[in-house]
Amino acid sequence: MILGTYGTQYQGDFMKVEDIKVALLRIEGTNCEDESLTALKYLGAKPEHVHLNELIKKKKSLEDYQMLFIPGGFSAGDYIRAGVIFAARIKATIKSDLLKFIEEGKIVLGVCNGFQVLIELGILPGIENVWDEKPEAVLAPNISNRFECRWIYLKKEKSVCPFYETLPEKVFSMPIAHAEGRFMLPENKEKYMLNKIIENGQIAFRYVDKDGNYADYPWNPNGSLYNIAGICNRFGNVIGMMPHPERAFFPYQNLEFKRGNIETPGKYIFDGILKYISRKF
Amino acid sequence: MKRIFERLNEKYPIYNIKIRDMNLRELDKLSKDLGLSLNREEMIRIRSYFRHLNRDPTDVELQAIAQAWSEHCCYKSSKYVLKRYIIGIEAPQVYLTGEDAGVVELDNDHVYVFKMESHNHPSAVEPYGGAATGVGGIIRDVLCMGAKPIALVDSLFFGDFDYPEKKIPKGIKNPRFIFNGVIAGIRDYGNRVGIPTVAGLTYFDKAYSTNVLVNVGCVGVCKKENVIRSMVNKPGINLVLVGGKTGRDGIHGVNFASRSFKRNEKLEKTAVQLGNPIIKEPLIHAVLESVDKKLIHGMKDLGGGGLSSVVGEMVLAGGVGAEVYLEKIPLKEKDMAPWEIWISESQERMMLAVEDDKLDELLEIFSLWDVDATVVGRTIEEEKLILYYHGIKVMDLDTHFITSGPVYCRPYTIEYPGMKRFQTTPPEPDYEKVVKDILSNPNVSNKSYVIRQYDHEVKGGTVLKPLLGTLGSETHSDAPVIKPFDYLDIGLAITSTSNPRSTAIDPYKGAKGVVDEAIRNLVSSNAIPHSFADNLNMGNPENPVVMGQLYEIARGLGEIAREFKIPYVSGNVSLYNETNGISIPPTPTLMGIGIVKDINKIVTVDIKKENSIIYQINPTTAEMGGSLYYHIYGYESSLVPDVNKDMLRMAMNSILKAMENDIILSCHDISDGGLFVTLSEMSIGSGIGMEINLENISDIRTDFKLFSESNSRWVVEIDQSKEKDFLKIMEGVYLIKLGYTGGNEIVINDGERKIIKMHIDDIRDIWNTIPR
Amino acid sequence: MVKVKIYVEYKENVEDPEALTVKKSLSLLGFEGIENVKISKVYELEIKGNKNSAKKKALEICDKLLVNPVIHKYEVNVE
Repeated sequence: MILGTYGTQYQGDFMKVEDIKVALLRIEGTNCEDESLTALKYLGAKPEHVHLNELIKKKKSLEDYQMLFIPGGFSAGDYIRAGVIFAARIKATIKSDLLKFIEEGKIVLGVCNGFQVLIELGILPGIENVWDEKPEAVLAPNISNRFECRWIYLKKEKSVCPFYETLPEKVFSMPIAHAEGRFMLPENKEKYMLNKIIENGQIAFRYVDKDGNYADYPWNPNGSLYNIAGICNRFGNVIGMMPHPERAFFPYQNLEFKRGNIETPGKYIFDGILKYISRKF
Repeated sequence: MKRIFERLNEKYPIYNIKIRDMNLRELDKLSKDLGLSLNREEMIRIRSYFRHLNRDPTDVELQAIAQAWSEHCCYKSSKYVLKRYIIGIEAPQVYLTGEDAGVVELDNDHVYVFKMESHNHPSAVEPYGGAATGVGGIIRDVLCMGAKPIALVDSLFFGDFDYPEKKIPKGIKNPRFIFNGVIAGIRDYGNRVGIPTVAGLTYFDKAYSTNVLVNVGCVGVCKKENVIRSMVNKPGINLVLVGGKTGRDGIHGVNFASRSFKRNEKLEKTAVQLGNPIIKEPLIHAVLESVDKKLIHGMKDLGGGGLSSVVGEMVLAGGVGAEVYLEKIPLKEKDMAPWEIWISESQERMMLAVEDDKLDELLEIFSLWDVDATVVGRTIEEEKLILYYHGIKVMDLDTHFITSGPVYCRPYTIEYPGMKRFQTTPPEPDYEKVVKDILSNPNVSNKSYVIRQYDHEVKGGTVLKPLLGTLGSETHSDAPVIKPFDYLDIGLAITSTSNPRSTAIDPYKGAKGVVDEAIRNLVSSNAIPHSFADNLNMGNPENPVVMGQLYEIARGLGEIAREFKIPYVSGNVSLYNETNGISIPPTPTLMGIGIVKDINKIVTVDIKKENSIIYQINPTTAEMGGSLYYHIYGYESSLVPDVNKDMLRMAMNSILKAMENDIILSCHDISDGGLFVTLSEMSIGSGIGMEINLENISDIRTDFKLFSESNSRWVVEIDQSKEKDFLKIMEGVYLIKLGYTGGNEIVINDGERKIIKMHIDDIRDIWNTIPR
Repeated sequence: MVKVKIYVEYKENVEDPEALTVKKSLSLLGFEGIENVKISKVYELEIKGNKNSAKKKALEICDKLLVNPVIHKYEVNVE
């Protein structure tokens, strides 16, 4: 039973995975879209690259898709602040279409830069509203003050995320690569908002050390509040995460592949999302 | 005052330069004043050419010739040497050489493309911009063969952070500033375009304190049918300029790289750029889409020399000529003179040759990606380069004259320390101290402070990563491996090697060792060494000793590669790396590619199990020349390790066979710091220690056994149950059983003598030293 | 304690990709009439000593670390 699904209607026939259309949104500087597309293709879905210009010029339409995926990269160079330019352009052009998309319960996934975009847009953390006018959180520069490309350990939390069931119970590892990944909430509302996020089951997973303890740097690579590595909105249909699932999809991508570790958490994440979509639509 | 310049047009700044009547002194002055960097002989040759044509050159023509003839553009000094030793190694996998990047066959349908280049002089002046534009340039070289870039390599040579300020010429930055700038420049560019930086080396020595070396390489892949030539061989083809706009950036950058630095030199302000990865990223997409739709006839990247070199080289190679309309070129600065437009080196530009019936579709693709694309000219039948500016003809030159610059056979003297044989024998050391000094030396210590700043996982294809082992205690790997296609199990292993300490003493043997190391690294990852690119960083070629070094290096690089039939498919030479008359040590950098047939069978360096057996492959010799051990303590030796080709070959073939049969659990080659460093890195990455006895290694001193850097050696880990199979496959190969894995300490004895006993955590802590 | 502000910006002939991207983004967002965008950095230092010694130190800091005269121009203001 998936908690808190917005407007769920469980029906007799499920949607076939091969009919699920995913839009991978990009602008100049998005650079993880190819491997993201490959991962979804391997699971049998129908992923497609969609440039923001194509949505603006109405060559393609959001309503034709069941999932919107904003992949990682350096959209617009990450200039000014990571994700802010991409977010501003989305807000100025396709806001109403995107709002409708989310209200229909369709999935929006933001990985790394995509997560930054969703935060800057105000769609995440999504504690109360579907869309906040001004950003209510930030993914700030890492406390180490440098770009960090490394593998880290994660542990899942009890959440309303669509992949909660498909992720393993034990500690698992995925790679991160970012300079601005430190999850922070506004100082004056931090305690309140964090409690709400926990209560609502919005935390997808948290950074841990190899024994599963919530530790500091380098296990928490960026100094995120409460070691938060990924969250979803309170309805569970908009998700953002800093680790890269498309880079932990095939066994040979695993850092410890030759040491016998062939876990593929990225695959479990995408799988969970696609299963959710097929049940819902 | 004689009138030198004759204005040709009232509205536009175009001049004739009255060169025909100039005397020698005036020719020298003209070259200096206009920043041409041409010597007297070259100026005379130009004067004769125009006397023959019975007219004076325009300023555009003179600047174009100067640029094409500069050292950078046509390897004046080195072509002869390279042709003799390095170019032309026959191997069936070579698909295309002599173009913007080397193309090698991967299988029936696919090729890989790669090149390495240097960006030394610009990085010394503006490290961030110099390194970033270096990365940008090399990506374009690969892209313009029609290949998708999949990996970046950077091999960097930095100086002493505490080098005294007063010894540094004005305009050159201090080594610490340069280090930070270069790393940041490569990071910011590479990460933004989304190409993983996976291999390379970072070397520190005071010899590079005023002459940093920044060598960048790029690897790309594509389908064989999509390879695009760097030339146009038909008249009537459109020349389309795409990418960034043209400005005054980098004017005379190419000539600038052809001179040494001097004290108090006023540096060309226009020779520096920052690069723009956010123009580059969509440019890559637009080009690859056009390649896929087969819209491109020929393509070339605008690097050193700008439009001038590119158009000239494209048509010369194809046996045609070109007409270009300078006013059509999109500019980012106002009031540019025609000669400035022609030789500008603004970044992020490429030239595409597109047939009439494909033009519209191509322009649409570029428009969708918001990338500029403008038709600026056409090819013609006559082998001439004709330029127009608002209808006025400003250049009309024979393509052969411009682009086949003078090739010099510079005088050389073979003279280097290695020609005399000597080696001091130091007293036996305090091993704990040596271990600490070597592990913490910047050339051995943990490079994660650099490597983690580069996204080496983007594109999801980095199977053998530059840092790997147990999560949280990763170690250096030998040759990273990329899986370029999701539908094929093939992998490309990539390595870059150099050994300045050795090549300084003995360029010939040192160069052989550089090739040996590249082979070792590739084999360690279970890759078959397949092709090379060479990058020769040298001092002032007008010094016969430096030319002699170049000869000997080329001889060494060529000899081993030829023996193993590994071709050099592209190369680069950087000369004049010299300050105040002192040249850098001869520094050849190699980039090597190996083929991994099945990425599931890669082998990594971290120890996998307890109670496995550790073997050393090939003997250790007491040739200590160039070793870090001798270098740190100032001991002298001219004995640079030689390469025994037969032993290298036998070992290589057997190791690959053993890996094919899943017998080797882990493998690491022996290089900087010797056997001790190899063993340490294998333990650091796994947390599993070992107990080693050196007694079976040849009859030499203990410290030589541990710290010698003699060639062709590996350390392998074998499961006890597979030992018999291992010995069978390795028959004929020189093997030394060293000991067993286990515990959490590295214990090293020599016979009865206890030499080292250290906890892995302590070793790791010392190895984690960051240079201050 | 003397407060010193150091302003560092790129010279005219240096193209700043970040500034260019901001300009382009503003245009894509529909803001018209933005002719030029320039980005500078401000370092605020609190230095012990008197105004003269602080200014001297700040100039040295620019020379040794913050500024590359090939691409930057700068100004030191003492409060």
